[in-house]
Amino acid sequence: MKHPFRWVAIGAGVVIAVFAAILAANVSTDPQSELNTSPLLGKAAPNFALTNFDGTKLRLSDVAGKTVIVNFWNSWCEPCRAELPTLQRWYADHKTDPTVVMVGIPRDDSSGAIRTAAREDGMGWAVANDRGAEDANLAYGTRGQPESFVISPSGQIVGSIIGPLTTGDLDKMLRVGQGI
Amino acid sequence: MRRLAWIGLAVVVVGALVVAAWPRANHETVPAHVHRLATELRCVDCIGISVADSGTAAARGQRRDIAERVQRGESDETIRNWYVQTYGENILLKPAGRGVGLIVWGLPIGAVFLAAVGLALALRKWRRQPRLTPTAEDAAFVAEHRGDR
Repeated sequence: MKHPFRWVAIGAGVVIAVFAAILAANVSTDPQSELNTSPLLGKAAPNFALTNFDGTKLRLSDVAGKTVIVNFWNSWCEPCRAELPTLQRWYADHKTDPTVVMVGIPRDDSSGAIRTAAREDGMGWAVANDRGAEDANLAYGTRGQPESFVISPSGQIVGSIIGPLTTGDLDKMLRVGQGI
Repeated sequence: MRRLAWIGLAVVVVGALVVAAWPRANHETVPAHVHRLATELRCVDCIGISVADSGTAAARGQRRDIAERVQRGESDETIRNWYVQTYGENILLKPAGRGVGLIVWGLPIGAVFLAAVGLALALRKWRRQPRLTPTAEDAAFVAEHRGDR
Protein backbone atom coordinates (compact mmCIF):
# COMPACT_ATOMS: atom_id res chain seq x y z
CA MET A 1 0.00 0.00 0.00
CA LYS A 2 1.97 2.96 -1.30
CA HIS A 3 -0.33 5.80 -0.17
CA PRO A 4 -2.34 4.48 2.78
CA PHE A 5 -3.83 7.89 3.68
CA ARG A 6 -5.15 8.25 0.17
CA TRP A 7 -7.17 5.04 0.70
CA VAL A 8 -8.52 6.36 4.00
CA ALA A 9 -9.58 9.59 2.25
CA ILE A 10 -11.25 7.58 -0.54
CA GLY A 11 -13.03 5.45 2.09
CA ALA A 12 -14.25 8.59 3.89
CA GLY A 13 -15.46 10.00 0.58
CA VAL A 14 -17.38 6.81 -0.23
CA VAL A 15 -19.03 6.76 3.23
CA ILE A 16 -20.07 10.43 2.91
CA ALA A 17 -21.39 9.84 -0.62
CA VAL A 18 -23.49 6.86 0.53
CA PHE A 19 -25.03 8.85 3.39
CA ALA A 20 -25.64 11.83 1.12
CA ALA A 21 -27.48 9.53 -1.30
CA ILE A 22 -29.64 8.13 1.53
CA LEU A 23 -30.39 11.67 2.74
CA ALA A 24 -31.28 12.88 -0.76
CA ALA A 25 -33.58 9.90 -1.32
CA ASN A 26 -35.47 10.39 1.92
CA VAL A 27 -35.77 14.12 2.45
CA SER A 28 -38.66 15.87 0.79
CA THR A 29 -38.22 19.37 -0.59
CA ASP A 30 -41.73 20.33 0.52
CA PRO A 31 -41.82 21.00 4.27
CA GLN A 32 -45.63 20.77 4.25
CA SER A 33 -45.79 17.41 2.51
CA GLU A 34 -45.49 15.38 5.70
CA LEU A 35 -48.18 17.43 7.40
CA ASN A 36 -50.63 16.88 4.59
CA THR A 37 -50.18 13.16 4.27
CA SER A 38 -51.41 11.02 7.12
CA PRO A 39 -49.87 7.54 7.36
CA LEU A 40 -53.49 6.34 7.57
CA LEU A 41 -54.30 7.40 4.00
CA GLY A 42 -55.62 4.43 2.06
CA LYS A 43 -56.25 2.41 5.22
CA ALA A 44 -59.54 1.43 6.80
CA ALA A 45 -60.85 4.29 8.95
CA PRO A 46 -60.71 3.43 12.66
CA ASN A 47 -64.18 3.16 14.14
CA PHE A 48 -65.17 5.76 16.71
CA ALA A 49 -68.00 5.93 19.21
CA LEU A 50 -69.01 9.40 20.36
CA THR A 51 -71.78 10.86 22.49
CA ASN A 52 -73.05 14.23 21.31
CA PHE A 53 -74.17 16.98 23.68
CA ASP A 54 -77.78 16.16 22.87
CA GLY A 55 -77.15 12.62 24.12
CA THR A 56 -77.26 10.95 20.71
CA LYS A 57 -74.62 8.33 20.01
CA LEU A 58 -72.58 8.38 16.85
CA ARG A 59 -70.46 5.51 15.65
CA LEU A 60 -68.61 5.50 12.36
CA SER A 61 -70.06 2.09 11.65
CA ASP A 62 -73.56 3.66 11.88
CA VAL A 63 -72.85 5.89 8.89
CA ALA A 64 -71.20 3.26 6.69
CA GLY A 65 -71.97 3.89 3.05
CA LYS A 66 -71.76 7.67 3.44
CA THR A 67 -68.91 10.09 2.89
CA VAL A 68 -67.78 11.29 6.31
CA ILE A 69 -65.84 14.49 6.92
CA VAL A 70 -64.18 14.37 10.35
CA ASN A 71 -62.92 17.70 11.66
CA PHE A 72 -60.68 17.70 14.77
CA TRP A 73 -60.77 21.12 16.43
CA ASN A 74 -60.64 23.14 19.68
CA SER A 75 -62.70 26.13 20.77
CA TRP A 76 -59.53 28.03 21.78
CA CYS A 77 -57.70 27.41 18.51
CA GLU A 78 -57.54 30.50 16.26
CA PRO A 79 -57.13 28.60 12.96
CA CYS A 80 -60.16 26.47 13.98
CA ARG A 81 -62.18 29.62 14.58
CA ALA A 82 -60.94 30.97 11.24
CA GLU A 83 -62.27 27.96 9.32
CA LEU A 84 -65.60 27.93 11.17
CA PRO A 85 -67.50 30.24 8.74
CA THR A 86 -66.38 28.01 5.85
CA LEU A 87 -67.56 24.89 7.68
CA GLN A 88 -70.88 26.57 8.49
CA ARG A 89 -71.48 27.61 4.87
CA TRP A 90 -70.46 24.24 3.48
CA TYR A 91 -72.56 22.36 6.02
CA ALA A 92 -75.59 24.53 5.23
CA ASP A 93 -75.23 23.57 1.57
CA HIS A 94 -74.90 19.84 2.29
CA LYS A 95 -76.91 19.11 5.41
CA THR A 96 -79.81 17.76 3.40
CA ASP A 97 -77.52 15.48 1.39
CA PRO A 98 -78.19 11.98 2.78
CA THR A 99 -74.83 10.72 1.52
CA VAL A 100 -72.70 13.16 3.55
CA VAL A 101 -72.00 13.34 7.28
CA MET A 102 -69.84 15.90 9.06
CA VAL A 103 -68.45 15.28 12.54
CA GLY A 104 -66.54 17.66 14.83
CA ILE A 105 -64.26 16.08 17.43
CA PRO A 106 -62.34 18.18 20.00
CA ARG A 107 -58.64 17.52 20.50
CA ASP A 108 -57.83 19.14 23.82
CA ASP A 109 -60.66 21.15 25.28
CA SER A 110 -63.15 21.27 28.13
CA SER A 111 -66.71 20.06 27.67
CA GLY A 112 -68.03 23.44 28.79
CA ALA A 113 -66.03 25.40 26.23
CA ILE A 114 -66.96 23.00 23.44
CA ARG A 115 -70.63 23.08 24.38
CA THR A 116 -70.65 26.90 24.48
CA ALA A 117 -68.80 27.22 21.17
CA ALA A 118 -71.07 24.68 19.45
CA ARG A 119 -74.20 26.49 20.67
CA GLU A 120 -73.04 30.08 20.12
CA ASP A 121 -71.53 29.38 16.72
CA GLY A 122 -74.47 27.32 15.55
CA MET A 123 -72.49 24.23 14.69
CA GLY A 124 -75.26 22.09 13.28
CA TRP A 125 -73.11 19.05 12.66
CA ALA A 126 -72.41 16.32 15.19
CA VAL A 127 -70.04 17.57 17.88
CA ALA A 128 -68.91 15.40 20.75
CA ASN A 129 -66.59 15.65 23.73
CA ASP A 130 -66.18 12.52 25.76
CA ARG A 131 -63.77 9.67 26.23
CA GLY A 132 -64.65 8.62 22.68
CA ALA A 133 -63.14 11.88 21.39
CA GLU A 134 -59.82 11.09 23.10
CA ASP A 135 -59.88 7.59 21.60
CA ALA A 136 -60.68 9.00 18.15
CA ASN A 137 -57.77 11.46 18.35
CA LEU A 138 -55.44 8.59 19.17
CA ALA A 139 -56.84 6.23 16.54
CA TYR A 140 -56.59 8.89 13.80
CA GLY A 141 -53.09 9.95 14.88
CA THR A 142 -54.04 13.63 14.93
CA ARG A 143 -51.02 15.94 14.96
CA GLY A 144 -52.60 19.33 15.41
CA GLN A 145 -55.77 21.33 15.05
CA PRO A 146 -57.65 21.80 12.90
CA GLU A 147 -57.02 18.51 11.16
CA SER A 148 -59.61 16.97 8.88
CA PHE A 149 -60.08 13.55 7.35
CA VAL A 150 -62.42 12.33 4.65
CA ILE A 151 -63.72 8.78 4.82
CA SER A 152 -65.15 7.14 1.71
CA PRO A 153 -68.47 5.27 1.73
CA SER A 154 -66.45 2.04 1.78
CA GLY A 155 -64.84 3.12 5.06
CA GLN A 156 -61.40 4.06 3.77
CA ILE A 157 -59.46 7.21 4.71
CA VAL A 158 -58.99 8.93 1.36
CA GLY A 159 -57.83 12.40 2.38
CA SER A 160 -56.40 14.41 5.25
CA ILE A 161 -55.54 18.06 5.70
CA ILE A 162 -53.88 19.91 8.58
CA GLY A 163 -54.88 23.55 8.81
CA PRO A 164 -58.00 25.62 8.12
CA LEU A 165 -60.19 24.21 5.36
CA THR A 166 -61.43 26.24 2.43
CA THR A 167 -64.65 25.58 0.55
CA GLY A 168 -62.46 24.26 -2.27
CA ASP A 169 -60.81 21.80 0.13
CA LEU A 170 -64.19 20.57 1.35
CA ASP A 171 -65.57 20.20 -2.19
CA LYS A 172 -62.43 18.33 -3.18
CA MET A 173 -62.64 16.10 -0.10
CA LEU A 174 -66.24 15.29 -0.99
CA ARG A 175 -65.30 14.45 -4.58
CA VAL A 176 -62.40 12.27 -3.44
CA GLY A 177 -64.64 10.60 -0.86
CA GLN A 178 -67.28 9.84 -3.47
CA GLY A 179 -64.64 8.67 -5.90
CA ILE A 180 -65.57 11.29 -8.49
CA MET B 1 5.22 -9.63 28.56
CA ARG B 2 4.08 -6.66 26.49
CA ARG B 3 1.95 -8.91 24.31
CA LEU B 4 0.39 -10.44 27.42
CA ALA B 5 -0.56 -6.97 28.65
CA TRP B 6 -2.29 -6.19 25.34
CA ILE B 7 -4.12 -9.53 25.42
CA GLY B 8 -5.18 -8.83 29.03
CA LEU B 9 -6.47 -5.38 28.04
CA ALA B 10 -8.40 -6.84 25.09
CA VAL B 11 -9.99 -9.47 27.37
CA VAL B 12 -11.06 -6.76 29.86
CA VAL B 13 -12.57 -4.56 27.09
CA VAL B 14 -14.44 -7.45 25.42
CA GLY B 15 -15.64 -8.70 28.83
CA ALA B 16 -16.95 -5.24 29.76
CA LEU B 17 -18.79 -4.94 26.42
CA VAL B 18 -20.36 -8.40 26.81
CA VAL B 19 -21.51 -7.64 30.37
CA ALA B 20 -22.94 -4.27 29.26
CA ALA B 21 -24.78 -5.74 26.27
CA TRP B 22 -26.03 -8.95 27.94
CA PRO B 23 -29.85 -8.93 28.29
CA ARG B 24 -30.90 -8.74 31.92
CA ALA B 25 -33.88 -10.35 33.54
CA ASN B 26 -36.89 -8.03 33.21
CA HIS B 27 -37.89 -6.73 36.64
CA GLU B 28 -39.50 -3.56 35.25
CA THR B 29 -42.81 -2.51 36.81
CA VAL B 30 -45.74 -1.61 34.53
CA PRO B 31 -45.51 2.15 35.31
CA ALA B 32 -41.74 2.08 34.64
CA HIS B 33 -42.36 0.15 31.43
CA VAL B 34 -45.01 2.65 30.28
CA HIS B 35 -42.75 5.57 31.19
CA ARG B 36 -39.82 4.08 29.25
CA LEU B 37 -41.94 3.63 26.10
CA ALA B 38 -43.46 7.10 26.55
CA THR B 39 -39.96 8.63 26.62
CA GLU B 40 -39.33 7.12 23.16
CA LEU B 41 -42.34 8.83 21.57
CA ARG B 42 -42.53 12.45 20.49
CA CYS B 43 -45.34 14.65 21.84
CA VAL B 44 -47.23 15.65 18.68
CA ASP B 45 -48.31 19.02 20.09
CA CYS B 46 -44.89 20.03 21.44
CA ILE B 47 -41.38 20.72 20.19
CA GLY B 48 -38.72 18.26 21.29
CA ILE B 49 -40.68 16.88 24.24
CA SER B 50 -41.55 13.24 24.77
CA VAL B 51 -45.01 11.86 25.53
CA ALA B 52 -43.69 11.09 29.04
CA ASP B 53 -42.88 14.75 29.72
CA SER B 54 -45.92 16.39 28.15
CA GLY B 55 -49.16 17.40 29.82
CA THR B 56 -51.26 17.77 26.66
CA ALA B 57 -54.47 15.80 26.18
CA ALA B 58 -52.91 13.89 23.29
CA ALA B 59 -49.93 12.85 25.43
CA ARG B 60 -52.20 11.84 28.32
CA GLY B 61 -54.26 9.73 25.92
CA GLN B 62 -51.11 8.16 24.52
CA ARG B 63 -49.78 7.29 28.01
CA ARG B 64 -53.13 5.68 28.85
CA ASP B 65 -53.06 3.79 25.55
CA ILE B 66 -49.49 2.56 26.13
CA ALA B 67 -50.46 1.38 29.64
CA GLU B 68 -53.43 -0.54 28.24
CA ARG B 69 -51.28 -2.13 25.55
CA VAL B 70 -48.56 -3.10 28.06
CA GLN B 71 -51.19 -4.65 30.34
CA ARG B 72 -52.59 -6.58 27.37
CA GLY B 73 -49.12 -8.06 26.93
CA GLU B 74 -48.20 -6.35 23.64
CA SER B 75 -44.47 -6.31 22.97
CA ASP B 76 -42.50 -3.05 22.83
CA GLU B 77 -41.96 -3.61 19.12
CA THR B 78 -45.70 -4.04 18.48
CA ILE B 79 -46.51 -0.85 20.41
CA ARG B 80 -43.82 1.16 18.60
CA ASN B 81 -45.02 -0.19 15.24
CA TRP B 82 -48.61 0.85 15.94
CA TYR B 83 -47.49 4.40 16.69
CA VAL B 84 -45.30 4.55 13.58
CA GLN B 85 -48.15 3.25 11.41
CA THR B 86 -50.58 5.77 12.89
CA TYR B 87 -48.41 8.88 13.27
CA GLY B 88 -45.49 8.17 10.93
CA GLU B 89 -41.79 7.56 11.54
CA ASN B 90 -41.47 11.06 13.00
CA ILE B 91 -43.23 9.95 16.19
CA LEU B 92 -40.04 8.16 17.28
CA LEU B 93 -37.63 10.35 19.24
CA LYS B 94 -34.92 7.73 18.71
CA PRO B 95 -34.58 7.33 14.94
CA ALA B 96 -35.01 3.87 13.43
CA GLY B 97 -31.98 2.16 11.94
CA ARG B 98 -33.20 2.57 8.37
CA GLY B 99 -33.72 5.35 5.83
CA VAL B 100 -32.57 8.75 7.10
CA GLY B 101 -32.28 7.29 10.60
CA LEU B 102 -29.44 5.16 9.29
CA ILE B 103 -27.34 8.33 8.95
CA VAL B 104 -27.73 9.14 12.64
CA TRP B 105 -26.59 5.68 13.67
CA GLY B 106 -24.17 4.96 10.84
CA LEU B 107 -22.24 8.21 10.56
CA PRO B 108 -20.58 8.10 14.02
CA ILE B 109 -19.72 4.42 13.55
CA GLY B 110 -18.25 5.13 10.11
CA ALA B 111 -16.29 8.09 11.48
CA VAL B 112 -14.87 6.06 14.38
CA PHE B 113 -13.95 3.20 12.03
CA LEU B 114 -12.18 5.52 9.60
CA ALA B 115 -10.41 7.32 12.43
CA ALA B 116 -9.19 3.98 13.84
CA VAL B 117 -7.92 2.87 10.41
CA GLY B 118 -6.20 6.24 9.89
CA LEU B 119 -4.61 6.11 13.34
CA ALA B 120 -3.37 2.54 12.80
CA LEU B 121 -1.83 3.51 9.46
CA ALA B 122 -0.23 6.61 10.95
CA LEU B 123 1.26 4.66 13.88
CA ARG B 124 2.63 2.06 11.47
CA LYS B 125 4.19 4.72 9.31
CA TRP B 126 5.73 6.57 12.27
CA ARG B 127 7.17 3.34 13.65
CA ARG B 128 8.83 2.56 10.31
CA GLN B 129 10.06 6.09 9.67
CA PRO B 130 10.93 7.80 12.97
CA ARG B 131 10.47 11.54 12.58
CA LEU B 132 13.58 12.27 14.67
CA THR B 133 16.82 10.55 13.67
CA PRO B 134 20.10 11.39 15.50
CA THR B 135 22.62 13.35 13.48
CA ALA B 136 26.37 12.66 13.65
CA GLU B 137 26.62 15.59 16.07
CA ASP B 138 23.96 14.06 18.34
CA ALA B 139 25.78 10.72 18.36
CA ALA B 140 29.07 12.40 19.18
CA PHE B 141 27.42 14.38 22.00
CA VAL B 142 25.92 11.22 23.49
CA ALA B 143 29.24 9.34 23.20
CA GLU B 144 31.07 12.23 24.85
CA HIS B 145 28.68 12.48 27.81
CA ARG B 146 27.94 8.78 28.28
CA GLY B 147 30.60 8.55 30.93
CA ASP B 148 29.06 11.44 32.96
CA ARG B 149 26.28 9.31 34.50
